Amino acid sequence: MLKIEALEFSYPSVPASTMHFDLTVDVGEVLSLIGPSGSGKSTLLSLIAGFLPASGGRILVDDEPLHNLPVAERPVSIVFQQHNLFPHLDLYTNVALGIEPSLRLAPIQVEAVRGALARLGLEPMQRRKPGELSGGQRQRVALARALVRQRKILLLDEAFAALGPALRAELIELVKTLVAEHDMCALLVSHQPSDASIASARSAFICEGRVAAIAATAQLLAQSEPPQLRDYLGSG
Amino acid sequence: MTMSRAMPASLVLAILALLVLSPMAGLLHLSALPGYEAVDPRFWENAYLRRVVFFSLWQALLSTLLSVLPAILVARAFAMQPQLPLRRLLLGLFALPLVVPAVVVVMAVVSVYGSNGWLPLGRSLYGINGILLAHVFFNLPLAVRLLLPQWQAIPQHHWQLGEQLGMNTWQRFRFIEWPMLRESVPGVSLLIFMLCLTSFAVVLTLGGGPRSTTVEVAIYQSLRFDFDPAQAVVLALLQLGLCMLVAMLTLKLQRMPAVEIALSIAYRHRALRLRWFDLGIILLATLYVGMPLTSLLIDALRGPLGQTLGDLRLWQALANTLFIGLSAALLSVTAGWFLLQYSASLAEQGHSRRARLVDLAGSIVYVVPPLVIGTGMFVLLAPHVDVFDWVYPIVIAINALMGLPFVIRCLGPAMRQNHARYHRLCQALALRGWHRFRHLEWPLLRRPLGLAIALVAVLAMGDLGVIALFGSTQSATLALMIYQQLGAYLVAQASVTAVLLLLLCLGVFALLERCIGGSRDAKN
Amino acid sequence: MKSVLSCTGTLLVSLLFCFGLQAATPNLVVYTYDSFTSDWGPGPKVKAAFEAQCLCTLELVGLSDGVAMLNRIKLEGDNSRADILLGLDTNLTAEARSSGLFARHDLSLPVSALPDPWQDDLFLPYDFGYFAFVYNKEKLANPPTSLRQLVENSNGPTLLIQDPRTSTPGLGLLLWMKKVFGEGSDRAWAQLSPRIVTVSKGWSEAYGLFLKGEADMVLSYTTSPAYHLIAEQDSRFAAAHFAEGHYQQIEVAGMVRTSQQKQLARAFLEFMISEDFQKIIPTTNWMYPAITGADVVPAEFSQLIDPSPALLLDETIVARQRKGWVDDWLEVMSR
Repeated sequence: MLKIEALEFSYPSVPASTMHFDLTVDVGEVLSLIGPSGSGKSTLLSLIAGFLPASGGRILVDDEPLHNLPVAERPVSIVFQQHNLFPHLDLYTNVALGIEPSLRLAPIQVEAVRGALARLGLEPMQRRKPGELSGGQRQRVALARALVRQRKILLLDEAFAALGPALRAELIELVKTLVAEHDMCALLVSHQPSDASIASARSAFICEGRVAAIAATAQLLAQSEPPQLRDYLGSG
Repeated sequence: MTMSRAMPASLVLAILALLVLSPMAGLLHLSALPGYEAVDPRFWENAYLRRVVFFSLWQALLSTLLSVLPAILVARAFAMQPQLPLRRLLLGLFALPLVVPAVVVVMAVVSVYGSNGWLPLGRSLYGINGILLAHVFFNLPLAVRLLLPQWQAIPQHHWQLGEQLGMNTWQRFRFIEWPMLRESVPGVSLLIFMLCLTSFAVVLTLGGGPRSTTVEVAIYQSLRFDFDPAQAVVLALLQLGLCMLVAMLTLKLQRMPAVEIALSIAYRHRALRLRWFDLGIILLATLYVGMPLTSLLIDALRGPLGQTLGDLRLWQALANTLFIGLSAALLSVTAGWFLLQYSASLAEQGHSRRARLVDLAGSIVYVVPPLVIGTGMFVLLAPHVDVFDWVYPIVIAINALMGLPFVIRCLGPAMRQNHARYHRLCQALALRGWHRFRHLEWPLLRRPLGLAIALVAVLAMGDLGVIALFGSTQSATLALMIYQQLGAYLVAQASVTAVLLLLLCLGVFALLERCIGGSRDAKN
Repeated sequence: MKSVLSCTGTLLVSLLFCFGLQAATPNLVVYTYDSFTSDWGPGPKVKAAFEAQCLCTLELVGLSDGVAMLNRIKLEGDNSRADILLGLDTNLTAEARSSGLFARHDLSLPVSALPDPWQDDLFLPYDFGYFAFVYNKEKLANPPTSLRQLVENSNGPTLLIQDPRTSTPGLGLLLWMKKVFGEGSDRAWAQLSPRIVTVSKGWSEAYGLFLKGEADMVLSYTTSPAYHLIAEQDSRFAAAHFAEGHYQQIEVAGMVRTSQQKQLARAFLEFMISEDFQKIIPTTNWMYPAITGADVVPAEFSQLIDPSPALLLDETIVARQRKGWVDDWLEVMSR
């Protein structure tokens, strides 16, 4: 379980705008974060991943605090919208990096890489370079890498934003299955309320550096409070 | 679009060929006249010449390795420390060695490593040690300046992923940094190889004797001492051929990075664990580059400052120097711009081999000695015009030619990426010509453009070979003045002039880089 | 745009002005080496002194050295603007003579200071000097007293010399060794070679390195200590006197055959061997003047060593053998 308690952060360039987050994600859950650009969704993911230092509050994974751990030791995998893969390395190597950056893999780890690639339907193309793949395939590779890393927390930072609706839905379903199979907690940042409907039983609306509302997805998308949510959804 | 890009580029290529080949043809024609020796077809059997070729290649190769490999470390340290105090000043300092005339570098190197120097090496200085010390002093800082921008092209997400995947320094270098460097390192190495291959006074003086003779010296000998133009052309072609071989090799090693459209690449890398290591590297490099420069400064401060600076002719020479430097830089960058536009559009259409050949053609002319070009031009021009009226145009043209490889190195990678990212968008928006330059290329390329103009300007300001060749009735340039002072026992005055030249170059460099490169350039 | 136009205008006007000035008085063009024309060389004083008496403009064109001048005028052929070439030395005169580009001067040295009588109908000497090894008296107490001693003492002083392919003193030493050792000069070079710290491109580099203390002796001129005496009041430097004698360098000037102003050119040559010109030479070119005269040579020159006997190889021998000798030297020195 991922628990975020009174997590605070402010960008040095705009010290007045302190962000403040409280949030819980259950095991096996994909929680969607929706909200306008600049509201702090990606910042929250960066805080969890450790790319940015929090100025207060706690992040707990299974009641263990995270915030003093260096990035590499956090039980976190992240998938970005782009630049997830190293363009000069083939798929196999890109995934294998998730287990061991030295690429010295034990046989069982090699099996794990193969298994993950197979699980995502990428096995036949494992020697290809990312440049030869479609956008959807690239994101599958990034998911395969997240899978072999076996970390509790999966962060998806607009991971599927560049894809078409059908492909997006397909990948979101895949994420849901994987999260359930591997007992992970996932946070999905998306611009599209429709993504949240497919992905999550619960969704949070992030606005001005705060969790402005959190509810069952259908309910959240229907409600008219706070007013920023109405503006965001454009359903006034 | 491609047609319109190919046009000015082929014009530039044609002018290049004209500037390089026609002087050689002129010299060959001359050698066919009575009173001159024809080419000896068995010249290759000469054991001396074979030794010269071998030595040239060997010293150039060693100098290149010793310059580029440490430069990667130093550039990396600078890239990892964007907030370092005095960073801008230090990087400005790194642009200086290139402009110091060779004779002054020899003196400065001896001040530091000579038998009465700060780190005396005694007689072992003379030989390959001295050559390498001087060449690395020239070229390590240059390589740092040329490689540093590559780190900026790395997408922020790659750093973040590297951190999350727990990569150590070596793995980060291998998976994230090296792939970006692979486009630049071979090209930078080739440039430095060419600089060292054609090195003359440094090799002869610090090399300890004729054991250390380069092909460039042999060319000088055959054109000046023996006045055997045919032999000079043959040797120049030999040098060109050698360089071509090495260039082909570097092309094989070069990989263009796969370009993904990066929205945000301005990531301040915040891993500070290696901070002391980085600082140590920067300190060492600064000492290495700074010591000879400091010795020059000390000599100058001890020299007759007032007397030397009070001389009006010094300031005239300074004005000449500025004029030649800025004109050559402008010409060189304009020519390089068209050439690179063409090669970038070739690369974008998948003809990356042809693109690289265009770049190569622009770079490799560097190894044809200015003495050969100048003498050949003279042979061609003298019967038709009064050469004295042409001294400045010729000096500027040859300096611009010699600056071209630097333009191609500074601007090439950035322009190619820019082209790959935005060319289609420009086509879609019908953005071309001046508007394309104003809205797209100027804002995005002004930083490497500033570096290119600044580098070529200071290079041309430090040059003296060409102007001495044509002779002039007007006042000298600063570099020529330094030689004249040294030739007249005025060692102290010469060191004052040398430091004035250095300060002028530093000022011009900073000004050009800031005005053209923009203030954001402060970080790189 | 307006400023560009006005700039161009100014430029045109000033160009016209220049041409106008030039047309008014005859223009005598002298090709010379650029250390002659430099601000510290004899050039500026010579120009002022000659223009004061000739009602002409003396245009001194600085080229890098004697070889460059000769190559230049050969390339220009009949189109040359040069009236005079000033700064060839006796190693180049044979080649210059055979080019057929020079006219007879019909003058003679009034009171020659040269050790041997001067007889040459194309070239006139304006100064001369002797090559010598210069050392610091405080650092080297017992300098060698002959070239043979320098060569044969394997514990002798370390040396800085110049490359005969690129420098006049370098070639001078090569000929000096030939003159003294004859056929044995290759062996002598081999003996000398371990003590040669480095062979530089030009005189400046070697002398600069010597002043920085890189070696005990440097190949230079017997007159070099005079510079330190006169300009720096520093008497630490001296030239080592060698018993075999010192090789000589004589610098000459000649009139170009195609000159349109032979009258004026001859007047310049006459001026060149007059006291007005000659007294400029010692303290600007740091050589001996070509004529003797009451106040031609400064007093300090009397403190210099007596370089006699003067050694000189015949110009035709030098012209014929130079290339082969340099190749031999390269071979020996590259071992």
